[in-house]
Amino acid sequence: MTDISTRNGEPVASTGPATGSPATSRKARGAGRRTGVRTHLPSTPWLFLLPGFLVTGGFVLYPFLSTVGSSFTDQRTLIAGKWVGGANYQELVHDDMFWTALRNSLLYMVGVVPLLVILPLLLAMLVQNYLPGIGFFRSAFYTPVVASVVVVGLIWVWLLDDRGLVNAVLGVIGVGPVSFLSDQWLLLISAMLVTVWKGLGYYMIVYMAALGNVPRELHEACAVDGAGPVRRFFTVTVPAVRSTMVLVGALASVNAFKVFSEVYLMAGPNGGPGGEDTTLVMLIKQVGTGLTGRVGYASALSVVVFVITLGLMLLVLRADRKEDA
Amino acid sequence: MRISRRAATATAIAITSALVMTACGGSGGSSGSNSDASGKVEGTVKFQTWNLKTNFKDYFEGVIGDFEKKYPDVKIVWIDQPAEGYADKLSADAAANTLPDVVNVSPDLATPLAKAGLALNLDQAAAKYKDEYLDGAWKSHEMPGKEGTYAFPWYLNTGPMFYNKKLFKDAGLDPEKPPTSYDQLFKDALTMADKSKGKTAMLANAPAVEDFGRYGVKLMNDDMSKFTFNEPKGVELVEKYKELYDAKALDSGALTSVAESAGRKFQQQSIAMNPGGAGDLKKYKTEAPSLYKNIGITPAVNNTGKDNMYVQGLMVNSQSKVKPAAVEFAHWVTDAKNQMAFAHKVAIFPSTKGSLDDPYFSQDGGTDEGRVRVAAAKALKTAVNYTPAVFSEQMKTALKNEVAKAMQGKKSAKEALDDAAAECDKLLQQAG
Repeated sequence: MTDISTRNGEPVASTGPATGSPATSRKARGAGRRTGVRTHLPSTPWLFLLPGFLVTGGFVLYPFLSTVGSSFTDQRTLIAGKWVGGANYQELVHDDMFWTALRNSLLYMVGVVPLLVILPLLLAMLVQNYLPGIGFFRSAFYTPVVASVVVVGLIWVWLLDDRGLVNAVLGVIGVGPVSFLSDQWLLLISAMLVTVWKGLGYYMIVYMAALGNVPRELHEACAVDGAGPVRRFFTVTVPAVRSTMVLVGALASVNAFKVFSEVYLMAGPNGGPGGEDTTLVMLIKQVGTGLTGRVGYASALSVVVFVITLGLMLLVLRADRKEDA
Repeated sequence: MRISRRAATATAIAITSALVMTACGGSGGSSGSNSDASGKVEGTVKFQTWNLKTNFKDYFEGVIGDFEKKYPDVKIVWIDQPAEGYADKLSADAAANTLPDVVNVSPDLATPLAKAGLALNLDQAAAKYKDEYLDGAWKSHEMPGKEGTYAFPWYLNTGPMFYNKKLFKDAGLDPEKPPTSYDQLFKDALTMADKSKGKTAMLANAPAVEDFGRYGVKLMNDDMSKFTFNEPKGVELVEKYKELYDAKALDSGALTSVAESAGRKFQQQSIAMNPGGAGDLKKYKTEAPSLYKNIGITPAVNNTGKDNMYVQGLMVNSQSKVKPAAVEFAHWVTDAKNQMAFAHKVAIFPSTKGSLDDPYFSQDGGTDEGRVRVAAAKALKTAVNYTPAVFSEQMKTALKNEVAKAMQGKKSAKEALDDAAAECDKLLQQAG
């Protein structure tokens, strides 16, 4: 394998590296004088790649393939499994809890993603303005992101409790108490709102970076043509940050589909009354962990989550490509 | 270097297949355990407890120090795990073959470990110590369908109930006569909900497996191969609880409550009764003085005359390389002298014969801890462990979910319990 030194894409005679040991420099200078070409051992690039391969193989590829393998066995936590073919997948199709969990995960995604795509953009536009004290608001909006999800979850549980602050306020105006934490649907919606509240600041930062790249002249030209703020938002801002919106949408979709902590903390380890708020990842935990965990069945659930997540990503990318075309 | 596409594909397929096949091997301990623990008492013994270091560091260091003095060739390495996720920690250790030599377990944790051949059969390995323990306690770590006992009985406890005398009085109930039977509990709960216009509930929990036991429901058939809690008495219990739930005599969060949330409701004085221990009493004293001065303590209600008993045990790892020392140490920690010393530190009760006859368990000394201790010790004399050893976390979830559906009216009590029993039977069968 050879490596030709280039400058601005044009091959040039190498005058040797600027740094390095004297011996290396002499060798390189000699090679440069003769041909302008540096040579490496064939294995050199592979050695550079090796650490990456090892980490990816050990911590990504192996666990993934191991999970796929387990999904075809009846493996339990303490009992090595034997091959059962597609039995776990068949069981999954007939498992009511799987369909409940799938419904909840999909609903979570549908409820959370639009809000996490739009609200942080509006927030970013708001805090992008240079106003006195705006730094405080930027920090305040970002604070939930750095707060522990467990702490955030517990605080919201206290707030939304039958005797919590929210119900106390509602009581003053003669409403309630509202069963935020014991009604199946209100619980799911409450958890969604916590996810949105916690994610706003993170995606706001992503949008702020994208908005910083929108040329001011475009807005000015648009304003000169008589466009108001709403028109400028749709004709300048949105097209300029569209790829960021796609990215945010993709990230938020995957995260929402894999939601665990918020629902676990607010609905309890069983996933709400009767397990009706269980999400797919919660179901994997319920089924596959502990000393009697059904690792094989939990692996089949994990594979399904992976396939759906991958499908979602591909859909988003495809939609983005179509827009580009 | 050039690698042909065909070679690359073949290599990828080979590696993938190998990895997938290794997944089939999975985890799991050896099923053929050796119960022989004879030999010299020596070596390094790893000893794992369950959330005890924070409060009892000095006690355990004393116990360990005395043992090391008696057996100079033994070194004890003490590991303490947090309460949360203990079963997950055990399963990870067992799967990785790094389970400590002596492990703190409860019967439901010991069962899968014993079935996987990871727990030493103490009927064989420690038969000489059997007579030191209460018969019921020794038997609490027996496994259905498997000969032997798989953990030394350690400390016992029973869940006394705390009740709020003021809330009882406000509801027109006699604060000195808390309910002692389920019938009275249901009646008092409905009265309280009615008088408080649904603002005060009696309890914060839906019925769990031990409630079925205390109510007199037969939980399993005689050979422990099938769940029977869907019998008429079980159905009756769920119907009664549904009546409470509909009348707001049961807290609205009862279907999702955990110990922490129920404790918080009791502290907020929105429920009138809740299980508690000496630690809770101390907490209420500092955090909720107005509640503290109104707290009464009573045994948990039952229709059987027998309270529920919680049992902790010490299991010896059958794969341990220092079995003689591990057995000796597990016995040392659970012997009458050390259990009694532990009982003086906290409200737990020794599982050794004769220990409960000590005056310490009948005289409260006028202290809060003493009140809890005497009430619990009294209940413990006749208590039984209602939770079947095979009742796993997944089964608890299945029962809780189905009971919740019945309480919400989505299923009849009979239908819900039939479904729960069927799911538990399926899980039992799968567990082997």
